[in-house]
Amino acid sequence: MTTQRYDAIIVGGGHNGLVCAAYLARAGRKVLVLERRHVLGGAAVSEELYPGFHFSVCSYVVSLFRPQIIRDLELTKHGLEMIPLESSFTPQLEGPGLCRWPEWHRTRREIAQFSAQDADIYPEFGLAMSKMAYFARELIDNPAPDPASLNPTELIRMLRLGKHMRSLGPDMMHLNMQLLTMSACDFLDLWFESDVLKAPMAVSGIIGTFLGVRSPGTAYVLLHHYMGEIDGAFRSWGFVKGGTGQLSNAVANAARSLGVEIRTEAPVQQLLMRNGEAQGVVLENGDEIRANIVVSGLDPRRTFMNLVGEDHLEDDFVTQLKRFKYRGSSGKVNIAVDRLPEFAGRPNVNGRADHLRGDIAIAPGIDYLETAYDEAKYGDFSRRPYINVVIPSIVDPSVAPPGKHIVSCFVQYAPYHIKEGPENWPSRREAFGDTVVDTLEEYCPGFKDSILFRQVLTPWDLEQEFGLTEGNIFHGELSPEQLLFQRPMSGWAQYKTPIDKLWMCASGTHPGGGIMGAPGLLAARAILKARAT
Amino acid sequence: MTTYDVIVIGGGHNGLVTAATLANKGRSVLVLEQHDAVGGLAVGDEFHPGYTSAGPLHDTTGFSPAVAASLNLSYTTAPEPVFAPQKPGDGPGLLLHHDCKKAAAEIQQFSQSDAKRYEDYRGFISRIQSFKTKLFEQTPPTPNALTSLIGPSLRLRRLGRGDMLELLRVGPMCLADWLNEYFETELLSCMLALPALSGTRAGPWSPGTAANLLRYETLAHADIQGGSSALIAALEKAARSQGVTIRTNAKVTAVRTDGQRVTGVTLDGGETIEARMVAASCDPKQALLDLLPPATLAPKLHHRITKARTSGSMAIVDLALSAPLRFACRPELEVREARIVDTIDAMERAFDATKYGRSSDQPILEVVVPTVANPSMAPDGHHVVSIMAHFAPYDLRSGWDDASSNAFADAVVQQLAGYAPDLTDAIVARRVQTPVDIETRYGVTGGHIHHIEHALDHLIVRPDPECAHYATPVHGLYLCGSGTHPGGGLTGLPGMLAADAILGK
Repeated sequence: MTTQRYDAIIVGGGHNGLVCAAYLARAGRKVLVLERRHVLGGAAVSEELYPGFHFSVCSYVVSLFRPQIIRDLELTKHGLEMIPLESSFTPQLEGPGLCRWPEWHRTRREIAQFSAQDADIYPEFGLAMSKMAYFARELIDNPAPDPASLNPTELIRMLRLGKHMRSLGPDMMHLNMQLLTMSACDFLDLWFESDVLKAPMAVSGIIGTFLGVRSPGTAYVLLHHYMGEIDGAFRSWGFVKGGTGQLSNAVANAARSLGVEIRTEAPVQQLLMRNGEAQGVVLENGDEIRANIVVSGLDPRRTFMNLVGEDHLEDDFVTQLKRFKYRGSSGKVNIAVDRLPEFAGRPNVNGRADHLRGDIAIAPGIDYLETAYDEAKYGDFSRRPYINVVIPSIVDPSVAPPGKHIVSCFVQYAPYHIKEGPENWPSRREAFGDTVVDTLEEYCPGFKDSILFRQVLTPWDLEQEFGLTEGNIFHGELSPEQLLFQRPMSGWAQYKTPIDKLWMCASGTHPGGGIMGAPGLLAARAILKARAT
Repeated sequence: MTTYDVIVIGGGHNGLVTAATLANKGRSVLVLEQHDAVGGLAVGDEFHPGYTSAGPLHDTTGFSPAVAASLNLSYTTAPEPVFAPQKPGDGPGLLLHHDCKKAAAEIQQFSQSDAKRYEDYRGFISRIQSFKTKLFEQTPPTPNALTSLIGPSLRLRRLGRGDMLELLRVGPMCLADWLNEYFETELLSCMLALPALSGTRAGPWSPGTAANLLRYETLAHADIQGGSSALIAALEKAARSQGVTIRTNAKVTAVRTDGQRVTGVTLDGGETIEARMVAASCDPKQALLDLLPPATLAPKLHHRITKARTSGSMAIVDLALSAPLRFACRPELEVREARIVDTIDAMERAFDATKYGRSSDQPILEVVVPTVANPSMAPDGHHVVSIMAHFAPYDLRSGWDDASSNAFADAVVQQLAGYAPDLTDAIVARRVQTPVDIETRYGVTGGHIHHIEHALDHLIVRPDPECAHYATPVHGLYLCGSGTHPGGGLTGLPGMLAADAILGK
């Protein structure tokens, strides 16, 4: 047993855990981070899976990472470098598809091929959405107010939000209501007519959810695309130079420089509970480490069912915990290829492929996406899935050997609960990988032959390897009943837990998943404000 | 020539409520109904010599007691059970009584815990009922007038922390998830879910459908004896006794304006009638897009109304039977109302079809047998079965024609015959009405029985921020039908609230 005593122990070295640790250390606390795996970053991790190829194994692009964190922790100094995504390409089986560029006049020409009217409206739509995104930012940069609370500070915050909302004017408020309730598809129908444009826009509404583009409530996620901000610049998505893991490494370096102690390959078995309060943790090897508080960077189910244990919790809390929904719906296929992929509808020119430098969405139409969802609803992976492809090695040659490339495929839908039962995913894994490769082959003839290596991650694998319950990349569905003051459950949505001295800091808390760092930051603030340690 | 205070376009239930309420306050009111009888979607017709169908709106449980009281309507109510049959050999089916204890006793045959959970479910519904009823019986709060939110917010808080948070949590959920938290008996979940999906384009896994169920459950009371035709008769009587003039076979073809002010209407055939105000109980698209002179509305509003979702998704199949409808799982039961669906997946699959512009191969059905309570609707010993069949989208990709409507009707009959094997031999005549037929016959855009989709966005602001309080930007023109708050179904509430708005309450 170690005698060393900490102010705070963070369980899990994912990006939120690291952010939280760094902020606590910055306020003078002595902090220890314990990570189960041999690498830091959780789902924001890079690994050399095949010699010379550095894969961003799970998360692959960054958009919503809070600029404040970059500034406060001086992440640039600690090695963080962002490369903006330059374009967004949606191939079609016939014809050149649609590519949206950073320069408006080019995008305009592309959209006008399909609909002149849509091309006219596109900038107006962007403007309206950016305004809304600006409002939504207020929500993700602050803890969620509790509508049931009678505490004056909470009431004042609700009132402030109300006033802020009213300042948008009636049209924007109506738009806001529509965004919160409509399906991505219905919402886009209000503006656009071209399926080729609507489909790639609609997909931002379904990423990571077990819903389709026609499911109500998916519209508001469209905002994410307009909220993407790197280092204060709105609306840009980007790669992290060297892979997503470099972001985690930068945060870890910043944390270390602030005095945080980080241990990898140190799996936590459970909390050290005395008199109903958390006094530290017990490692799998039996070591006990004490601290004033414990902060969990795991998802709610793992935090309470595994670390705490059901017998320390009240029945009502357990009921609520059990109905918090995970239902992972996506998989990841990481592929190393020996040459640059070439799309039949839009060939590369002299080995250059500007349209492949950003993200590539296999989302040729609304019906295609909805069919993919329908297949998944009844317990199968989509036979023709939505695939979000990025080839980071084009803009960041450091991640692959010269001339060779990494093709990263985020694939939806791959439901955790398949008909055969989730534990049978391993026997379907290769079939799933084949589906993805076959789909790409239809758009890029010859792709299959260029493959040197492939890694297939099913939701089951995400759960087993990365500790994401039911493979949900966001630590729980981002559905309205699991957001804001209800994330992970009403009454416990401000990072505190019913277990004294145990706090939460990860994506299962407000404002949710994605490489935002916001839960980690807000949790650290809440802990410091409560003078918990 | 008389100038009326108010002309009401359409003699449906909401039009009659508006007319009677206004006349009661001394206004001179004329109701113009295009058919030869009032009642709109609430009345059926003689679809085969000697056989009269029930109308698409057959469920009278939602009619607001507040409206009935304010109009002194005379009808009697009696709760009627609803039956969910099972296929022969699968079980006895579930007869859901209105009375909670009786219902629980029936549910007990399936699951002990569900019987208890059903009482919890009903308990929750009854605790939030006063809050919801108040919400439906008042002009809706608008997010742009924050003060209008204060009343509802305070009442919401008064529910207590637990119920308040539960209501906020449940509203945006999907039916399948919410009901699954309560029940293990899928048949029970299905039969509770069906009315929430009726007339909408949503499946049990569509988020926000739990709000539809909460809406349905909190509006539901006992059935009106004699059904929707008795209700319409009572409304017509109330209107006439207050001095309302009702003209049938009078189709309005235009609303006349002078600049931005209403002056009257033009009828089919060219007759014009003057009025200071016009209340349109037809759907908002007709009222604002078809009846108003072109370019009356500002382009923005015009665009938004055009984009309102009004595509219906249900067809009606009426059967004339030579024998009563008997379900094999409980042949002795004389069923007045049945819901045919036994798994959530089946419901969802039926809905899936609409997304691709197809009709369901295995539709889910709401079955009404009006002749049980009212044998005069068919020859002696014979019966009528009216089936609201989901899903049959208005915008069928192949287009609705005789072949496609008959194919759908075949699927409906086959589905019902799976539970009632004697049905096929008893069919004397059959009529199918697709949403296109409903549009033509009843004059509702898209054949949508609720006028505008019952989805959260369209329920919160109905039909548009600029006419959510019944008045429209055209001075003197009001909306008073199901396309306004609190939406469709036989509640009478839009009609009453619109009348209040006209009276300047």
